[in-house]
Amino acid sequence: MRQMKRLLDVYVALQALFALSWCFTDADPGPAVGSQSNGERFKIEGRAIVPGVKTQDWVSTARILVEGEEYVGFVKTDGSFAVNDVPSGSYVVEIVSPSFRFDPVRVDITSKGKMRARLVNYIKTSEVLRQPYPLQIRSSGPHTYFMKRETWGWTDFLMNPMVMMMVLPLLIIVLLPKVVNTNDPEMRKEMEQSMNMLNPNPELPDVSEFMTKLFSKGSSKAGGGNKGSRSVALKRR
Amino acid sequence: MAWLVVRLAISMSLLYTASAVFEDQVGKFDWRQQFIGKVRFALFDTHSQASKKLLLATDKNVFASLNSRTGDLFWRHVDKTGPEGHIDALLMYGQDAVVVVGNGRLLRSWETTVGGLKWETVLDTGSFQAAALVGVQDFVKYVAVLKKSAISLHDLSSGSEIWVENLPDSDSVQYQTIYSGGNGLVLVLGVVPNSHIVIVEYKIEDGEIMNKKSVEAAWMSSLESSCAVVSSGILLCVDQITQSLYTLPLQSAEQTEMRQIHLQTLDLEVVSGFRPVLTSTQPNPAQPPLSEFFLQLSPDHHILLQFKDGLIAPLRDFNPAYLAAFATSGERTVAAVMSPKNDTACSINLFSADTGRRHLDTTIIYHMDPNGGKPNRLYVHAFLKKDDSVGYRVMVQTEDLALTFLQQPGRVVWMREEALADVVTMEMVDLPFTGTQAELEGEFGKKAAIQDGLLPMVLKRLSSQFILLQAWLAHLWKLFYDARKPRSSVKNEVTIDVLSRDEFNLQKMMLMVTASGKLFGIDSKSGTILWKQYLENIQPNSVFKLIVQRTTAHFPHPPQCTLLIKNKDTGLGSLYVFNPIFGKKSQISVPALPRPILQTLLLPVIDQDYAKVLLLIDDQYKVTAFPSTKNVLQQLQDTASSIFFYLVDSSQGKLSGFRLRKDLSTELIWEVVIPTEVQKIVAVKGKRANEHVHSQGRVMGDRSVLYKYLNPNLLAVITESTDTHQERSFVGIILIDGVTGRIVHEAVQRKARGPVHFVHSENWVVYVYWNSKFRRNEFSVLELFEGAELYNSTVFSSLDRPHPPQVLQQSYIFPAPINTLEATLTEKGITSRHLLVGLPSGNILSLPKLFLDPRRPEMVSEQSREENLIPYAPEMPIREEWFINYNQTVSRVRGIYTAPSGLESTCLVVAYGLDIYQSRVFPSKQFDVLKDDYDYILISSVLFGLFFATMISKRLAEVKLLNRAWR
Repeated sequence: MRQMKRLLDVYVALQALFALSWCFTDADPGPAVGSQSNGERFKIEGRAIVPGVKTQDWVSTARILVEGEEYVGFVKTDGSFAVNDVPSGSYVVEIVSPSFRFDPVRVDITSKGKMRARLVNYIKTSEVLRQPYPLQIRSSGPHTYFMKRETWGWTDFLMNPMVMMMVLPLLIIVLLPKVVNTNDPEMRKEMEQSMNMLNPNPELPDVSEFMTKLFSKGSSKAGGGNKGSRSVALKRR
Repeated sequence: MAWLVVRLAISMSLLYTASAVFEDQVGKFDWRQQFIGKVRFALFDTHSQASKKLLLATDKNVFASLNSRTGDLFWRHVDKTGPEGHIDALLMYGQDAVVVVGNGRLLRSWETTVGGLKWETVLDTGSFQAAALVGVQDFVKYVAVLKKSAISLHDLSSGSEIWVENLPDSDSVQYQTIYSGGNGLVLVLGVVPNSHIVIVEYKIEDGEIMNKKSVEAAWMSSLESSCAVVSSGILLCVDQITQSLYTLPLQSAEQTEMRQIHLQTLDLEVVSGFRPVLTSTQPNPAQPPLSEFFLQLSPDHHILLQFKDGLIAPLRDFNPAYLAAFATSGERTVAAVMSPKNDTACSINLFSADTGRRHLDTTIIYHMDPNGGKPNRLYVHAFLKKDDSVGYRVMVQTEDLALTFLQQPGRVVWMREEALADVVTMEMVDLPFTGTQAELEGEFGKKAAIQDGLLPMVLKRLSSQFILLQAWLAHLWKLFYDARKPRSSVKNEVTIDVLSRDEFNLQKMMLMVTASGKLFGIDSKSGTILWKQYLENIQPNSVFKLIVQRTTAHFPHPPQCTLLIKNKDTGLGSLYVFNPIFGKKSQISVPALPRPILQTLLLPVIDQDYAKVLLLIDDQYKVTAFPSTKNVLQQLQDTASSIFFYLVDSSQGKLSGFRLRKDLSTELIWEVVIPTEVQKIVAVKGKRANEHVHSQGRVMGDRSVLYKYLNPNLLAVITESTDTHQERSFVGIILIDGVTGRIVHEAVQRKARGPVHFVHSENWVVYVYWNSKFRRNEFSVLELFEGAELYNSTVFSSLDRPHPPQVLQQSYIFPAPINTLEATLTEKGITSRHLLVGLPSGNILSLPKLFLDPRRPEMVSEQSREENLIPYAPEMPIREEWFINYNQTVSRVRGIYTAPSGLESTCLVVAYGLDIYQSRVFPSKQFDVLKDDYDYILISSVLFGLFFATMISKRLAEVKLLNRAWR
């Protein structure tokens, strides 16, 4: 098991290393895009969709951010948007809303105004996974800002390993004598033998021994309070 | 797949370190206040009587809708900063608001009930002059936009362009205003300064020029503010040199000259040096303006005039009157005039516009804030009451950017402090103890324990316990008393008098300095403004530095803060000393600063009144001490040889270090020149003075210790290349010892550019830059270690450090843009650190420093696992649970301020920008307090259960024993 884990770790690290070296050797800066604009300005268009929510409930808080706050656009009442006056280049377009999550999209604009949209990949920056243009950005649901509180339930309590460790031996102690007929002398002998084998020092008082003795007496109240009965047993000695 | 596994590994290792907000903690210890900035345009929605909308456009490029009954925001749209998002004009008709943005570049129409964009049109380039709604036959259908050389007409419902026409002779004529009286024509008025006025008439349908004429006006330089159109198309201008009014019917063919009316004939006179202002009103864009107008002759002299049959007649003279404004409700137009009543109050009265008669019982008393500025804008919302009389509410804007909304007879409905939209710097100061707390503290004072014997100490103890009991009883009584009263009448008012430090010092006083020169004291728990102080005569380009000289710890000396106000151009500064708890100006005499100030230095040296000494270094490297008592000067002389400071001259690329001499002159010790041809110094940061580092080193996997290089004098210098080409640009970081000038480390990030954000703390520097090759933000972390042995473990001296530190560096991709960066700070520095990252989306990300550890291994080994190092992954994760401000986004976050609280686990955070957000973060979770969800019921039920179980079993055991004995 342990070896398995180590293997997995090595595998993970190797993968990480591989990806690292990959990202360093990737020298291609994507499509030929001049960051210097030659004056011409373009328009990034698209539509934002939040399934199952009316547009008027979220458009007033949403904004379109292009490369941080470098260019800003607003959402129309029908969910469509346009960001004007963007020079050619490659930009990450993001719809920002405090209530809904939208995935960012990278939009490349050539100096001639040709546009394409692709998935944002910060590691493999030149990888092209085409997205529809004009942009169709569908919300992947509301933001999950909050952690869940750990609620206390009986099942959680019972499934706790510590509790299990306590409860299972208890059950065994209580139930085993009932299942195995300890009055059978043969069985008893056998058990004693095995006990002696386990216990090298027969002089030492053995708890399990007197437990079995105690329970074999057929005290019917054993389930009631084993603490009490244990103390009784001790006192009797 | 591999990434998934790595991410999984990361998230697994993070299960125990992540701090996040639980849903039930919302609003428990955090608050947000939203602002909009200085109002430039304000319009009340008069579309329907019940409407509560108030539309505002501000100088912060914000367009917002406020609830005029409460002052809360309905919605707000924050545009790009700078001239490209500048709002040039705001027009409103019905449900739609038309906004011209970016020097006439964009025309936007907003649906005001929803707050969504209706349409947006891009206009041709050209500097914006004016915009107006154009109506035809009582219906407003179009909006006309006048540029320097063109005029365009757009449909109001779709934004589509009807026509665009070039203006004739636009290179010589300055076209400045548009007028339309609803008669099928759009008139464009232009002026050739000191020569003539040009009037061009366009037909609405197709933009055909119907008529063009020029009228002599040799005295005129500009149409704006000195001219207005009144009545049915009469251009009215005022000139202060000839002291006369000029009238011209815009559409008559006969009159080719402006008719002059001397102000003397009306018994009026313009105060010399004041530019008179004409204000007219056009309630409906499809109809001509009213024939009544205001003429302002001096800063506090307004006069209501009427133009009738070519004659001007004064209706009412308002002298003195600060402000005057028109408002229309239905068919009735009224004028509201604000005139001074006494030194602290103004009265606002309503007058009917057509007669100038005062409406009875319409006075609103406006009390001026003695710590605020003068009112400078008046916005009136008029409405018809049930008995058909006109009622009104007013919004007053003052010089210190406070908006006050008043209704009759002077009740302040709401108030907004818009100066807080531009917080420049802030500090947090502990609140003072109450009397009882101070008493308790005094008991354990140093002197008391030595002087007193055992018995007096016991007595003292008893007496202070008695005082505590008394206070507690009083508190209980108050609770009981409050509980009997109806809930609504119990106000949770926070005032300065009841403020005192809480048990864990979680509540503090936030001092905020705003760009307009207004200071605020805000309670950090509730966000209530406890005091405000407007500093007049602050130049708009001033820089501020706030210094806490004495904290609240030195009772009975009051705490003391000093604000250094420095003019950016001249460098001349002045000091303003005040009490941070009450906001009162201190009586302490302030040194005069005749020379520009280069650097300030707060020394740990304290004077006999426990105020820390502030050193101010001027451009001749002379040092001024404040306070400069004999005691201080003596102390300075003794310690002068160990006082060093540094100066940065980014224009010459020079960093220089100085030492103080005994006579308060200075000597140059070192100088580092960074050639400005190649790179420029962008920022220099030392460490925060109140930072504590708990552990000297890090325990490695093999049980050895790696000691941190904790140099308190270390400076991080960020440089950027002057060459901005994508391939050749770079970002450099230099770590310099501020005392010796030794360069400890130097690193260069190639193909990178700014803006660089960085944090310098403990033994690490984290900086963010833009990788221009891969077009992404990257984090880089530098960590400095001394090695396995400390050179001198008792004290750190910059002068005696023979071994250079070991430097480790690692970089990561950050998958989002960044606005600002700060690190958490706790009382003793035991708690692990988090980085607080302000994102443009308005969220504040709490990123564990664990992720920015240059020792993150690429290969996982037994040792690295022992050390709890996360395996290296190039991309930094961003999880929504780490956003400490959940949906309470902070627009344009510009700075994050962190302060330790009395609890080691807790760090107070204030993010400011357009909004202000205050919260607490727990980087290592709340390990020193019981959790919010601590299950008291469970723990007590288990305890009781066990207790009863023992009781019962004891009883049972007894019974059993007894039975056995009987057997």
